[in-house]
Amino acid sequence: MRVQLGRQLLDRQIVDADGLLLGKVDDVEFAVDEGGLPYVAYLLTGQGALGRRIGGRVGRLLVALADRFTEEASAPLRIPFGQVARIDSAVRLRARADELPRPPVETWLRRHLIDRIPGADRASG
Amino acid sequence: MRKLLAATLGVLSAIGGFVDIGDLVAASQAGARFGMAHAWVLLLGVVGICAYAEMAGRIAAVSGRAVFDLVRERLGPRVALLNLAASYLVTVLTLAAELGGVALALQLASRVSYLLWVPVAAFAVWLVLWRMRFQLMERVFGLAGLTLLVFTVALFWLPTDWAALGHDALHPDTAGQGSGAYWFVAVALFASTVSPYEVFFFSSGGVEENWSAADLADARSSVLIGFPVGGLLALSLIATATVVFHPAGVSLSTLDQVAEPVVLAFGGVGLAVAALAFFAVTFGAALETGLSAAYAAAQYFGWQWGKRVSPREAARFHSVLLVSVLAATLLLSTTVDPVRLTEYMLVASAVVLPLTYLPILVVANDRTYLGDDVNGPWLNLLGAVFLLVIVAASVAAVPLAVGTGMGR
Repeated sequence: MRVQLGRQLLDRQIVDADGLLLGKVDDVEFAVDEGGLPYVAYLLTGQGALGRRIGGRVGRLLVALADRFTEEASAPLRIPFGQVARIDSAVRLRARADELPRPPVETWLRRHLIDRIPGADRASG
Repeated sequence: MRKLLAATLGVLSAIGGFVDIGDLVAASQAGARFGMAHAWVLLLGVVGICAYAEMAGRIAAVSGRAVFDLVRERLGPRVALLNLAASYLVTVLTLAAELGGVALALQLASRVSYLLWVPVAAFAVWLVLWRMRFQLMERVFGLAGLTLLVFTVALFWLPTDWAALGHDALHPDTAGQGSGAYWFVAVALFASTVSPYEVFFFSSGGVEENWSAADLADARSSVLIGFPVGGLLALSLIATATVVFHPAGVSLSTLDQVAEPVVLAFGGVGLAVAALAFFAVTFGAALETGLSAAYAAAQYFGWQWGKRVSPREAARFHSVLLVSVLAATLLLSTTVDPVRLTEYMLVASAVVLPLTYLPILVVANDRTYLGDDVNGPWLNLLGAVFLLVIVAASVAAVPLAVGTGMGR
């Protein structure tokens, strides 16, 4: 697949097979094939990855915030590039959200805040 | 009727921009001080916001991406984060002002101090955001906001000199108040008509309603009905204030005074309708700003957002909503004057305007998003000229605010 990293991949919305929003392409991870050529192996998503890409004081703040909600040190969600079905106005995956690890902040807020309010499990439409 | 129902998203978006609590007072103040001399600002604002809301709505319908998605993709994560911080701050300050406005409208109707109404208003707003279906919310508050048309009707009951109003509007002058004050009011009025949260809300609303390319016609009529109606409402406020207050040179600063022209025309019934209208528009604007703050944050980080999924599936989005409403309530309980609050907020919002409108214009020309539905040359010309106006307002905002002491 021929993709312009900066223009078409980075900062795009990642959408699962059902149309749920998973996060942004906050960064990418390269690997090197047998021929010595680099290729995009993983999409990284999560405040930790974003913070490290932005860098500086603001970036460190984002990383620190992400760390507060995770047990392991802010490992970003890594999505194998092979999961990508197509790229248009969003990066669309073959997989469904529940087959991938859950974002830790979402899980934490759901458990400690939102689920405690009556009506949290009904969509208002 | 079907057209009108399809247009309620546009109407509700426009209410937050044109006739929210800040504008109820600011527009009436402008009328009292300068007569119809700012009518052209509203006209300019309507044309510009129509052009950009049409682009944002088209992008949302064809690609399913709302405005803050585009902001980050086109400006990069750093500048977009700056825009997010500024827009979020401005939007939550506005939310606080709107909650104050709801409370003031209730005070006007009940004579019970607005401070007691603030927590009630905040809870009611949060409850609607938590539970009400998006389309029902948009229709109820879009249509209820139209009660403000009582100001337009009042013009026909008051001894309005239409020829003089028209002449005033076509030959604007500074009414002896100094050009600094005149231009400060112009920039503040302009900034409020093109508030970024209008396009955040409008485009996200399109995504909430599952617009597709088949809905482009509805999206367009929503823009072309909704925003001009908003402009008409604001113009009516200016005009009634011009008729009632301008000749005597009375200056006004409270919501009771804003209602005065309607009371003069219709008596007690007028006051009741005006209080209802103030309640409807400020409540609608509170919903719009609350949602916009959360939309912007969720779209920047790529979180699941929206009312189509259950709150537990969009836990971060609903947490931001909840925190925003709480923060706004806390801010109000410091007894800060909600109306003054919006004056400062308008200056802040003018400064960051270009960071929202430039990405819309760029993406509206990007075929990877829009295929063949990209902008035509005339819309691009209009968009580019309007962007220059936005940049000029953005640059002028702070010097004017400082130079004139917030337009005094």
